[in-house]
Amino acid sequence: MKHLLEGRTERKFLLAAVLLFMTGMSAFAEEPDSIHSLDNVVITARREPLATSQTLSGKELESLSSTSIADALKYFAGVQIKDMGGLGGLKTINVRSMGSQHVGVYIDGIRITNAQNGTVDLGKYSLSTLESVQLYNANKLDQCQSASEYASGATVYLKTRRPQRDSLTLLGGIGSFHTYRGRVNGQICRKGWSAFVDAEYLNSKGDYPFRYKSQYEDTVGRRTNSDIEYFRVEGAAFHRGFSSHVYAYFSERGCPGGIVRRLSGRYNNVGREWDRDIFAQASYKHDFHGKHLLQFNMKYAYEYLRYNTDYPENQNTVRADNHFHQHDAYGSAAYAWLPFNWLSVNVGYDARMSWLAADLKHFQPVRRFDEKAVLALRARYLGFSFAGSVLFQHLKDYTSCQVGAARPLSRFTPSVSLAYTRWGVTLRAWYKCIFRAPTLNDLYYTQVGNRNLKPEYTRQWNLGVEYQYADLQPWMFAIQADGYINHIDNRIVCLPLKGTYSWSMMNYGKTYCRGLNATGTVRYTPRNWTFSLLMSLTWQKDLNRTNPEDSDNYDIPICYSPALSYGITAVAGWKYVTLTVSDLHVSKRMWSYADPDDMLGAYDNIDVKLTGAWRWFTASFEVNDLFDVQYEHIPRYPMPGRNFKFTLTYSL
Amino acid sequence: MKFYKKLLLTLLGVGAAMGASAIEKIIVVNEGLWQSDNGTLSYFEDGRIVSNEWFREVNGEKLGDTPNDIILVHDNLEAVAIGTSGIVQFIDGSGKAVAATEDVPNNRKLASDGKYVYVTSYAHECTTVDGVKNFTKGYVAKIDVETFKVVSAVEVGYEPEGIALYNGHLFVANSGGYSYQGDHEYESTVSVIDAGTMTVKRTVDTGQINLSGIMSRSGQYLCINSPGDYYEVQPATIIMDCNAVLADKADAECSVKLNYASTYNTTAADGSFYAIGSVYSYATSAYQYNYLTIDPKQAMESAGSKGVTETLPGSLVEDIKKMTTPYGIYVNPYSGYIYGTDACGSADAGMLYQWSPAGELLGTYKVYINPGHFLALPTEQSGIKNIADGIVTDQAWYTLQGIRVAQPVKGHIYIHNGKKIAY
Repeated sequence: MKHLLEGRTERKFLLAAVLLFMTGMSAFAEEPDSIHSLDNVVITARREPLATSQTLSGKELESLSSTSIADALKYFAGVQIKDMGGLGGLKTINVRSMGSQHVGVYIDGIRITNAQNGTVDLGKYSLSTLESVQLYNANKLDQCQSASEYASGATVYLKTRRPQRDSLTLLGGIGSFHTYRGRVNGQICRKGWSAFVDAEYLNSKGDYPFRYKSQYEDTVGRRTNSDIEYFRVEGAAFHRGFSSHVYAYFSERGCPGGIVRRLSGRYNNVGREWDRDIFAQASYKHDFHGKHLLQFNMKYAYEYLRYNTDYPENQNTVRADNHFHQHDAYGSAAYAWLPFNWLSVNVGYDARMSWLAADLKHFQPVRRFDEKAVLALRARYLGFSFAGSVLFQHLKDYTSCQVGAARPLSRFTPSVSLAYTRWGVTLRAWYKCIFRAPTLNDLYYTQVGNRNLKPEYTRQWNLGVEYQYADLQPWMFAIQADGYINHIDNRIVCLPLKGTYSWSMMNYGKTYCRGLNATGTVRYTPRNWTFSLLMSLTWQKDLNRTNPEDSDNYDIPICYSPALSYGITAVAGWKYVTLTVSDLHVSKRMWSYADPDDMLGAYDNIDVKLTGAWRWFTASFEVNDLFDVQYEHIPRYPMPGRNFKFTLTYSL
Repeated sequence: MKFYKKLLLTLLGVGAAMGASAIEKIIVVNEGLWQSDNGTLSYFEDGRIVSNEWFREVNGEKLGDTPNDIILVHDNLEAVAIGTSGIVQFIDGSGKAVAATEDVPNNRKLASDGKYVYVTSYAHECTTVDGVKNFTKGYVAKIDVETFKVVSAVEVGYEPEGIALYNGHLFVANSGGYSYQGDHEYESTVSVIDAGTMTVKRTVDTGQINLSGIMSRSGQYLCINSPGDYYEVQPATIIMDCNAVLADKADAECSVKLNYASTYNTTAADGSFYAIGSVYSYATSAYQYNYLTIDPKQAMESAGSKGVTETLPGSLVEDIKKMTTPYGIYVNPYSGYIYGTDACGSADAGMLYQWSPAGELLGTYKVYINPGHFLALPTEQSGIKNIADGIVTDQAWYTLQGIRVAQPVKGHIYIHNGKKIAY
């Protein structure tokens, strides 16, 4: 109780934005008698409306039917998830159709990177240690940020929960398709320090049934080679401005192919993957009397990946057994000067060194040195807010690969934001230009790589409005809507230019996107009860603008981009019981330009979760995909359909 | 002006279609995207695409994942190698599925003598009538088109690609194409197999690695593409003289190397080869294309110093240069009409180009993703339907016009021993 209140003040100062969606209920589950004190936090926690952002945290995050971060992010406006199905299937997100490599994912302000392919498999990160998940279009606009935080087209922040009290939690879960999960979490708080250790084991066969029924086929089967086993252990320690995090993830999984025409079950296309990911990171923030802010970040990460297709069941692909090793060392320093209470100046410098080694033929280790520097200004006067930044990025690769290293890359990119707030209503406008550099795979992967690739640029324009009303207890409303235009140039794609069976990376394609993202939140929290309704809506028109002479494909929607999607989540809680129902709707979308029939159908995925707490026990029961809608994110990669999950937690 | 020309052509096309039965019948194999189960057949007849989902429309089911090749087995039977589905699909002239086998996984290219279909495979396992056979390298399987079962299989080099039947022998180009990841090096050999006994008679070293992609045959000559290793070894074209191989001449005398790429090649009506080759340069990261007409006889006789002209008929070169991703070239053996494909952006519909035998562009047609393989079907114009039995039995080959030919050309229809045969 005491720790909780102390924590409150600190959080209010540092993390005001994070707390927007955090209700009294979030603490209620842990500490039933703290409900009133935390209500104050909700009222005063005005978030910074200059940036377009969305947050899921606390109770609402817990009450969603989600095992991975991808499950939580799919409820945000403007987000498209690509999921190859099953617990082990690769899960990546794409924001406003820019492509997954334009999304930076940050754990406590430090980016998760993968120099090899530039994407983050969200399935590898657990929700259970997180306090909140936030999405910023463009980037966050804090007074003191590292240069990396300005360097992506969209930004996902994963905020680790700081322990508030000593506790020990044991969790056991069982789910459909032979899924078993166990988790242990221990937390400790002493003398201003707090720390936790969290370990989880999961084993799932993932043998879910699927059916493809159309006028051309009725394919019924059970997913094979879709199993996953992982062990994750992480720990974190915090002390005022200091935070640190150590993380290790070990897994083995099957990589099933698409469901393609077969006459029998022989030779199902298979590969297997082993991952070992380890990172250690620390950051320190210091505030000198509110006039100067300093922040340092450090991180070391190691990633090992083995991909093996060399066994008799696999006859349809190359027999390969490749091992990839990546090391990544990162450091950043940021400083903010606040000469007046209406102005702050932020400078930051980041350096990152990445090594990639692989036992591919014609491949030599590659080293990438990536430097970033930023100068950013923020001003607020009367109702007006302004933020502007210039980011400088310099990338240089070193390799003895036969083809030689790519030319170093040096670029400046700007961004600017303006907002005006009156009577709780904020109008905002922002522009950001940023690129994603070609990844090491794009440049050097044997046969496919092209070291002369240019960076892929995005330019975003955004006009938004938001309104928040929280002055009438126990009601709270928040609404925001943003219209946007994105231009993406020099898309990096793979094309078969050397001949039918050899594809290579090229800069090809332009995209012009227009869209509207809107979110709304209504919350009613009378004594002992809580009701929330979270809504998000995306309408978008993403057009291919590659070749004006190609009348068949010019100005038509790009693949995988639904015109409309929305999510509605309703949470009803009474004391120890919470019921959540969520519906995610995604409209139909093309998956190729070639034929109007190449369409993924619209779907509604409805999840239900019921949680009850009694003394030291919490039990939850989930039904995911209630109506067993067999949808796909990628053609021929079916999602699991209806499944059940039961979890029992014991906390001390 | 262009419009009127198009209109005129359309009218001509319609007129031709109404006047009599079809003159041009072409099946285009669209590979689709890997693991998307969207390989399709486009059926083109006299200036119009009848269907881009021909197999599906006729049979009510999908073709499968990544078809690699199509051939004519006999008058009313075609075979399609559907690589990643691991299926060899047989269809009749109307596109109707006749049979299919899954005994040859990861299959690549096809050849046939009318009784058997020979198929190359990158895989290591083959189910034959004598049980499952395992191979370290790749193999060639022989499928009986009476039973549609594999009657025998023989190991060749790693990742065997092109296959041609000549004089009772199968010529198989070995690529070793998986060597960029696998545990072996590129292959540089052509395996020569006695098609009757399915035994390897000879392995000819061409001195050039990675014999991969399309292989065409014109009479006794083969045109084999080698993309090189995409690093130091530059692409090349191998012209092989099958007669020299069968006459047991030394390896070096069996083939010549031309310093051009022939990524996409075909046999022209006059027996020469047409080729479009793409050469990648790491210095510029750009692709350079070459466009070739190869006289194989001249090339062989001059040891590669003659016989290649960097040209294609009519406006072909000019038209192909405008393509985004050239993906195939083909000459209708019955009519001499020329076809080419552009894979465009590879996730969008490809285009089929049609040229007259002289190389005049007649039209472009939208097909489907990655159109890479072609087959012309015999037509009434090209065919004499009934031949009285036992009249001609002199072992010679005649064209349908009754002209005796010394050297039959692959894919053409001939009369031989009183039967109409697709050679």
